[in-house]
Amino acid sequence: MTPVVATAPSPAGAAPEAAPGRRAGARPGRSDRGRRALAGLVFLLPALACFGYFAWWPIGRSVVLALQQTNLVDPARWVGLRNFEVLFADPLLPTAVLNTLWYTVLSLLIGLPAPLVLAVLISELRRFGAPARVLVYLPVIVPPVVSVLLWKIFYDPDSGLINAVLGLVGLGPYPWLQSPAWAMPSLVVEATWAGAGGAVLIYLAALVAVPRELYEAAETDGASIARRVWHVMLPQLRGVILVLLLLQIIGCLQVFTEPYVMTDGGPENATVTVLLMIYRYAFLFGDYGTATALSVLLAVALAVVSALYLRLTRGWSSR
Amino acid sequence: MRSHFRSLSACALVAVLTVAGAGCGQDAETAQGGVTTITVMGMPAATNAKGRKLFQDQVAAFEKANPGIKVVGSDMPWDVKTFAPMLAGGSAPTVLRVPLTEPAGLIERRQVADITKEATALAEYRSLNPDIMSYVTRNGVTYGLPEKAYALGLAYNRALFAKAGLDPDKPPATWDDVRAYAKQIKDKTGAVGFGEITTNNSGGWHLTAYTYSEGGSMIEQAGGRWTAAFNGDAARRVLDRWRAMRWEDDSMGGNVLGKQEDMIAQFAAGKIGMWVTSPSDIYPTYVTNGGKPEDFGAGPMPQGAGSATLVGGTIHMVNAKATPEQRAAAVKWIQYRYLRPNFDTEAAVATAKAAAADGTPVGVPVLPIFDQATADKIYKAIAPHANVPQDHFAAYVASLGSLTFTPEPQVASQEIYAALDPVAQAVLTRRDADPAALLADAETRVNAILGKQQ
Repeated sequence: MTPVVATAPSPAGAAPEAAPGRRAGARPGRSDRGRRALAGLVFLLPALACFGYFAWWPIGRSVVLALQQTNLVDPARWVGLRNFEVLFADPLLPTAVLNTLWYTVLSLLIGLPAPLVLAVLISELRRFGAPARVLVYLPVIVPPVVSVLLWKIFYDPDSGLINAVLGLVGLGPYPWLQSPAWAMPSLVVEATWAGAGGAVLIYLAALVAVPRELYEAAETDGASIARRVWHVMLPQLRGVILVLLLLQIIGCLQVFTEPYVMTDGGPENATVTVLLMIYRYAFLFGDYGTATALSVLLAVALAVVSALYLRLTRGWSSR
Repeated sequence: MRSHFRSLSACALVAVLTVAGAGCGQDAETAQGGVTTITVMGMPAATNAKGRKLFQDQVAAFEKANPGIKVVGSDMPWDVKTFAPMLAGGSAPTVLRVPLTEPAGLIERRQVADITKEATALAEYRSLNPDIMSYVTRNGVTYGLPEKAYALGLAYNRALFAKAGLDPDKPPATWDDVRAYAKQIKDKTGAVGFGEITTNNSGGWHLTAYTYSEGGSMIEQAGGRWTAAFNGDAARRVLDRWRAMRWEDDSMGGNVLGKQEDMIAQFAAGKIGMWVTSPSDIYPTYVTNGGKPEDFGAGPMPQGAGSATLVGGTIHMVNAKATPEQRAAAVKWIQYRYLRPNFDTEAAVATAKAAAADGTPVGVPVLPIFDQATADKIYKAIAPHANVPQDHFAAYVASLGSLTFTPEPQVASQEIYAALDPVAQAVLTRRDADPAALLADAETRVNAILGKQQ
């Protein structure tokens, strides 16, 4: 340990010695702390201004707009909670909420284990690990709309790639996007394909950090591959898994691109989501107040989920 | 990564909505030094060099003739997503160029200006086609002027007709014929006999047009209140026919969840026998998508118990935030650039020459925006420059004189279409769909939408 150097205490109320003569680790004076705080604030100011103007101000305005009716030309009229009443009277709202939750559940069932399994498989590869990582990450580079349109062609019931391949083994043709039952799982599969690459890389990075000795010890004790995964790897990855799980929940609750581009909410409203409703209210029907009211409700829901996320991650990371 | 994307998209949406609201009250175009500046949509894209040059030449000539007006062209196409924030931020163009589906909503939301005084002062105003003007007038107030118009009809592939043993010069005129032709095309060629579109409000739009052709209506007004009027025999016949063609004849293909752009691509690729659209409007896009001009056929809107079709078109309207000077300048410009080529032979020939030189279609038969005599005079003048197989449009053109042009629902048309999309989708994607139950459910929804508007 570093020995503590005793020094004579300063007279009560006297200012500390000037910086050159001061020992390392001495507490800074009040004016010094003030200067540092001011400098910090100056450095922070541009970011604060950006956040304030582009994030906090719009969020505040959203709450105001949710209580108004506007055509963006005449002055906005205060309508109290009427926009929320219109929203709750819309029979499509429960459908959209349930669809969004269904998408989230399916995404977790399909989208959560898939990257983990891929990461484990790639990490076990003796050769071709790098090309495998590139291949898995490639779909992330494709612009979301392009990948959605690509999969729309794959899903074509008459001439799509998927039915063509399944037809080779005597299966199908299946209606995919044309069926209210199949449409949502089809969107989830596309989203998983498009987004899994990022999660795979994060899992791979986390896997590298798992100490080799733990695997070797388990192997010495005769643990099978499945047991090594279950008892060694997964507990070591639990922090990363939890973070990705909750980020995925937040992302899924805001799903828009897939249903907007691929199905426009159809068939029979089977893929209408909350964000698609916001879009329709604002840009199709010109009802900006109700659109913003739904945005505010979604923001509140996401805030609750985020609070849960923070609480859970704090608990897990402290173990 | 994608979740980040979605978060950002949602934030951007909220930000756009709110910042848009915050920007109310600004006005980008102002009169300075006695010069009134107007921003006008409709400037051809830079890729269309000759069309753009013609536009710029017309701007120069217009400004020379009107020294107090400065015209700034915009090649930005109409996009409902960008229009709202631009309008709020004061940067929306003065002259809006919109499809005919938009005026009803823009008028309802009071986002466009009353141009009655300026428009009715034009000498040719009284000669404008009243069927088309009904879309841009409300309670005697004029909100827009037409550039071009067309009626819904049947686009069909002449090559597939011939291959199926059908006469390419005799397109079907009734829905019964359409069903029989579609089955024959499917059986003989394997192609989709009759294509249908059901997303992005197109399902509701087509259900409306087909119901009109069966003699029905969509909404009706009684005691000053609008209510749904489609839950009856006419719409029921449409749904029953769709169901029979999809599930009994198997003549509509398995992919019925698309919009007009998807169908144009399929049609241009020769995979669709027939479908209902505005043949004149889609012809240029059909050619751009690689469709063969010689295979393109246009027939009348098929009819059942009715004799009606829907009208489409391109309309020019003026931003509600325009000053009186800008409104006057805007109407002058619309007259100069868009009305003139439809009644002034010299302007018509100049426009046709430039379009033909650029390789874009000239002479596509349209619904005249003026009276028939004026239209005939213009057709004759531009005939030497026509590059479209006009005889392939003969059956469609003949129908324009006999069918009634029925307007779209006057209230909340887009919301009604959105509520009807699932009805069309249900019948075409679910074998056991119950048309009566679907119509009853849609009636409740549409009445709720109409109730909200009143």
